[in-house]
Amino acid sequence: MYSKVTLILSFIFCTSLYAHEMTPTYPKLVSSYIEGVSVAKMKLFNRRDDVEYYEIGVFTEDWKSIPFASTSKVVKVKHNKRKLFEVYIRSRDIARAVYICTESKVLKSTEQVTLISSRICSKIKQDQ
Amino acid sequence: MIKKLATTILLMSATSALAVDSPIQGQVQSKCSVWTETGGVYGHPLPYKLSTLPADGGVKASIRIDVAQADYYKAKFTHPNSFSSSPTLNDAVAWTGSTIVGQVSVAAMSAYEAAKVTYNNVTEFNLTLAGSTWFTVSSTAQYGSTKSLPAGNYTAIIKAECIAK
Repeated sequence: MYSKVTLILSFIFCTSLYAHEMTPTYPKLVSSYIEGVSVAKMKLFNRRDDVEYYEIGVFTEDWKSIPFASTSKVVKVKHNKRKLFEVYIRSRDIARAVYICTESKVLKSTEQVTLISSRICSKIKQDQ
Repeated sequence: MIKKLATTILLMSATSALAVDSPIQGQVQSKCSVWTETGGVYGHPLPYKLSTLPADGGVKASIRIDVAQADYYKAKFTHPNSFSSSPTLNDAVAWTGSTIVGQVSVAAMSAYEAAKVTYNNVTEFNLTLAGSTWFTVSSTAQYGSTKSLPAGNYTAIIKAECIAK
């Protein structure tokens, strides 16, 4: 009886859970095929079925935005799918670049609710 | 005779297959996962008030943060100070809210609550231990002094962040 209840409860809880993950924690910038531009390879995993779009951002230590290039600044990642993406940063901005972040873009709701926007930021590993 | 031989060969080949190693490989990376377990719901206990408190008929938002490595991340929660969508409002809205530690997967994580840093509508937690922590976010909005909120749908956004240290 208990095992059945546990199974049902775990099913209910599992189906209502949504997660946003990004790795690596400490990405390393390496030279890209473009001179004067470095690149970091990132991986985003979308387990939120209420979210399909994530915005990429690069920031300084005090959260000022830094120019960067990627395939798109807003990437579409379907539920339970991974997305590999590259972030290109100019060499002259590397010293200032500290965080690479992805932020979920929530859809406008038609209910009386609080929506949860998730953001994960990795810290760029600077060469010593 | 041929049947017996075939069976013997089949058995031999089957038993030799058991001896082959089939490794399952995995890697645990340092990472942070933000799990949105319960999105909050506003209750409407008074004409001028929206609140996620259960006593007001609302539901608090619950967010779980999993970290695979101790002391690699900090969590930051921003409770709403404006509606992301609402009917036209002609008066000011007074916002209050809070973020507290709920359940923890490691008993020592309870200390996060005492060590949290709060400023404006932001609450920061230093995730010094590996495991899961549940955070509960509440939000209340009061319109005007005691003016009735116009009819319509109201949405506000809670921001949950996991930032590498």
